[in-house]
Amino acid sequence: MSAVFTIAFRDLKGYFASPKGAAIFFFFLLLMGFFFNSFISTFLEMTQRAPMFGGEVPTLETLVRALFYNLSFILILVIPAVTMSSFSEERRNQTLRLLLKSPVTASQIVFGKFFSSIFILGLVLLCSAVYPGYMLAFGNPDLSVILTSYLGIFLLMSAQVAFGLWVSSMTTNQFMAFLFTMFGLFLLLILNWIAPNLGGGSWLESFFKYIASTDHLEAFLKGLLTVADVTYFLCFIALFLFFTNIVIDSARWR
Amino acid sequence: MIEVSELSKSYGQVQALKNVSFNVESGQIVGFLGANGAGKTTTMDIMCGCIGADTGVVKIAGFDITEEPLEAKKSLGYLPDSPPLHGEMRVKDFVSYAALLHKVPKKQLKQKVDYALEKLSLTEVRDRLVGNLSKGYRQRVALAQAIVHDPKVLILDEPTEGLDPNQIAHIRELIRSLAGQHTIVLSSHILSEVQNTCDRIIIIHNGTVVQQGTYQELVHAMESGTRYRLRVSRGSDQILPMLKTLEGVQNPSLGADPLAIEFGLSAQAKPDLLDDVIKLALNQGCGIRELTEKTKSLEEVFFKLTH
Repeated sequence: MSAVFTIAFRDLKGYFASPKGAAIFFFFLLLMGFFFNSFISTFLEMTQRAPMFGGEVPTLETLVRALFYNLSFILILVIPAVTMSSFSEERRNQTLRLLLKSPVTASQIVFGKFFSSIFILGLVLLCSAVYPGYMLAFGNPDLSVILTSYLGIFLLMSAQVAFGLWVSSMTTNQFMAFLFTMFGLFLLLILNWIAPNLGGGSWLESFFKYIASTDHLEAFLKGLLTVADVTYFLCFIALFLFFTNIVIDSARWR
Repeated sequence: MIEVSELSKSYGQVQALKNVSFNVESGQIVGFLGANGAGKTTTMDIMCGCIGADTGVVKIAGFDITEEPLEAKKSLGYLPDSPPLHGEMRVKDFVSYAALLHKVPKKQLKQKVDYALEKLSLTEVRDRLVGNLSKGYRQRVALAQAIVHDPKVLILDEPTEGLDPNQIAHIRELIRSLAGQHTIVLSSHILSEVQNTCDRIIIIHNGTVVQQGTYQELVHAMESGTRYRLRVSRGSDQILPMLKTLEGVQNPSLGADPLAIEFGLSAQAKPDLLDDVIKLALNQGCGIRELTEKTKSLEEVFFKLTH
């Protein structure tokens, strides 16, 4: 276990020793800020106008859900930026040899990388809490919905990190890792919408819909905590960490 | 200490190693000699478990590198051909990271890191970033990383690459001082380096071991009787046919220097045959300048084996 922390700790220090860590925080918070600002002004506008046109007044829950949906989209940009370097940069700098020749197992390396990425992205999520915090300070949104949303986003993020690590482990080129991870994550999110075209009403459609992360996240954003959805994310994480482990371990016998 | 048997490895169509086998006794320094692309780095990578072999077994301190990698790697220090350095770390942090990876206990960490830094005279740069160091320093940091956990087996891939002559001398001294407690395999394409530091030499060419043994053994194996070189001031072509008729003198020929004749002595030659050769030269009025015994340098052995 200590080897996992040694590797994770070094990686974390690496993120903050280079401008990379700071840049990730900067762009993430900037984007979140822009969207939050526009959401709030739209929300206020609608609350004023709705009675005039006889429409329904939007609730704070709608605002919270919009915020977290938006967050899940921004993560598509942030996660590849964090995971792209994890293996490909080490491969390019030859530092992966340092890990391969050390008395550590492939799974320890993979978990080390996974935890360091999770930790930095966890910090990013923590920073994003200013926006729900702002709502809590000036309104009364349902706290439990915010908490389940965060849990859902965190699980989604971990699953996306596992996917990103797998992509990164297969290339020496960071840019390729970024592109493929982003494309893969985007596909995962929109699979829900293109499923009818792929499966045409058959079992394939429901299969693709199950694979897509959107529906599973939605339950969390509604404040629902279901075993099925938590299991989906945990299986996703386990599967892709397993794939990554195979890629790294295969160096020994390929 | 190290057993390598029947190692083969191919990269697609290219066969990098063919049945490479050798053993290294405990405490020995073994030089791994080969031209660029001969298979040195591939062999070393396989020995350290960084890549797998197609067939063959590597045992480090009795542990199979593929079957019991953790045990085997514990007693292994490896300096790869391109130093595996994290540029954004400080020298002391990097070396302690490597020590932690190799399971050095927390209590001994500081002492071992300090010792490694001192041994490679890195103490004055301990707080600098690895990425800002010059190539020589970086190579030494990479070496510190390999020796910090005091491994039984050290595998060094071209350890003096990119160092200046002073540093090369320093590293050689260091390697010599590590011998005894450590078993060392070092690769090089610089012959003099191997000749000076190693107890035993393994010459690898096109993925096969072509020759192994001590320096003397290698040179001896290549010698067919001792060769002599006779340099005269004039008329070397005149006495050359005469030497050919002299019994016991083997294939005399003109060297690169047209005034020098090189010849060998057969095993049946009479003991004072050299006197006869000199008499002959003097009688012909050639004027003797030099008569030397020619020993082959490692360069020649190497050249002969790999061409």
